[in-house]
Amino acid sequence: MAETPQVYGIVAEFETPAAAMHAAEKVRDTGFRKWDVFTPYPVHGMDKAMGLKNSKVGWFSFIGGVTGYTSGMLMIWWMNAVDYPIIIGGKPMFSPFGAFPPCYELTILLGAFGALGGMLFLNRLPRLHHPLLRNRRFALVTHDRFFVVIETADPKYSETETRKLLESLGSKHIELVEE
Amino acid sequence: MSSQTNSPTSAAPLDLSKWRKVPMILMIVGGIGAVAGFFVDQHQFGFSWLLAFMFFLSLCLGGLGLTILHHLFDASWSVPVRRIYEHLAFLLPVMAVLFLPIAYLAPKMYPWMQLVKEHTPDHSIKEKFPLFTIPSFYIVAMICFAVWAFLSYKLRYWSLKQDQTGSVECTRKMRRFSAVGVFLFAVTLTLAAIMWMKALQHEWFSTMYGVWYFAGSMWITIFTVYSITALLKRQGPLREVATEKTFYYIGSLMFAFTVFYAYITFFQYFIIWNANMPEETFWYLARENGTWFQIGILIIFGHFFIPFLTLLRIDIKLSWIMIPLGVWAWLMHFVDISFNIMPVKHPQGFVVHWMDLACLAFIGGVLATVFLKYLNAHPIIPQKDPRFAEAMDIYVGDQYVEAATARGIDPKHGGNK
Repeated sequence: MAETPQVYGIVAEFETPAAAMHAAEKVRDTGFRKWDVFTPYPVHGMDKAMGLKNSKVGWFSFIGGVTGYTSGMLMIWWMNAVDYPIIIGGKPMFSPFGAFPPCYELTILLGAFGALGGMLFLNRLPRLHHPLLRNRRFALVTHDRFFVVIETADPKYSETETRKLLESLGSKHIELVEE
Repeated sequence: MSSQTNSPTSAAPLDLSKWRKVPMILMIVGGIGAVAGFFVDQHQFGFSWLLAFMFFLSLCLGGLGLTILHHLFDASWSVPVRRIYEHLAFLLPVMAVLFLPIAYLAPKMYPWMQLVKEHTPDHSIKEKFPLFTIPSFYIVAMICFAVWAFLSYKLRYWSLKQDQTGSVECTRKMRRFSAVGVFLFAVTLTLAAIMWMKALQHEWFSTMYGVWYFAGSMWITIFTVYSITALLKRQGPLREVATEKTFYYIGSLMFAFTVFYAYITFFQYFIIWNANMPEETFWYLARENGTWFQIGILIIFGHFFIPFLTLLRIDIKLSWIMIPLGVWAWLMHFVDISFNIMPVKHPQGFVVHWMDLACLAFIGGVLATVFLKYLNAHPIIPQKDPRFAEAMDIYVGDQYVEAATARGIDPKHGGNK
């Protein structure tokens, strides 16, 4: 296939977290939607600078937890009171007190599964390749550089304007990344 | 990143001038009620006083526990609110004085004391020798108050000292007191919960009782600290230093202790339910009588589910809902302490006696007066705490690190070499 390679996005390199944070605030205020910031370590306040809302992972773990609790209760009720009733210690066939500890643990288990699965689902991991990994300078993101990446898929993207914006924010190295 | 909540225009201070006299009024009205109660019915007065005493004791012990934990974890986020903990903890010497009515009325209130006095101790008392003897009761009380007064005094003393000197030595001292103190705290708190509350039904035993009281104490104290911090922020003193982060972390601790309390309370019940032995189950059976049953249900929902579900979301921890939730927590903690003490006095069901209210008003008024005096007498925050910049998210530049190194201090280990 001899197609001309598609451009994935534009990568701007910054040298300090403050510069990257400032750039992120500007990019956010310009109204971009499909963009991201990459840093060697978590930068406090970056979520706000990027205008990110609280992650939705919590909902996955909440639903997982509720599922775990109710399925545990139903399972124990069905096994002990319906399918195979045995009297133990003169206690009722089914009691929420006796059933609580396993249900509690199922709540935690499925809650954790929900958190893990929800996280992988939302950030689309694992993936085998990402266009940015082909960019040589981008490897510095694990060392001491900070990158702002704006995708071409963003409706506001324009090669000249976006490049100008990133230059005005103080980036010394701006490159296009191919798909 | 909390510029919005930190701006001086965020909310105007409330006019609290009308409320200034409230602690004094509570103290006087409650005091009159309590004295009248003492002469009307000593037995009822003893229980009402014990209820109010244990309610407020949990607040003071919670303050001490939070101070100790702050130092043990070398926390930075709680530096701006630590003075509140320290003042709450230093109410413990006042509690020692307020213990006197219980010390005086104990032989009338605790059935085991009557049995000992009549020289007819039952098996369950003999097995607990030498703890369940009359001298032990008073010795335990003296040890508890001595330990609490010592720890709360020392932790506050070095904290106030640091305000003046700024010396890192103060932090080290507080850390050492906390390291020893956490063991003393655990032992004395457990002894207090056993001797003053559980001993009302001395035949009963539960190895989780001390932890139960601890969980409830920390729970109610954190809720209270949240409200005090929010008020002090609104009124000005903590405006710049109590940030979104501070409230979020206090809220997270509230959430954690809501779960921890439920865990302890449930498993105390569950283990006894599961073993199904009469010498343990009688305690819960007494609490299924009459309206005590509904109170038990209320504790499950009001003490756990309502705060738990409310605190689940992150944004709630920063919203106005936290203040009504704090009021609700006080109510639930009162109900919970009552559930543990009062079925001995009122086996037929839950009663809020006028003497309960009088004793609560009096002790609450006394403690509030002393607390406000402390707040006014000392700086509102630990001013020269080495972790203060970190708490404020201020980056301390390399020149300070160099200066510290030049003075022979290893900056990488919190000043400790």
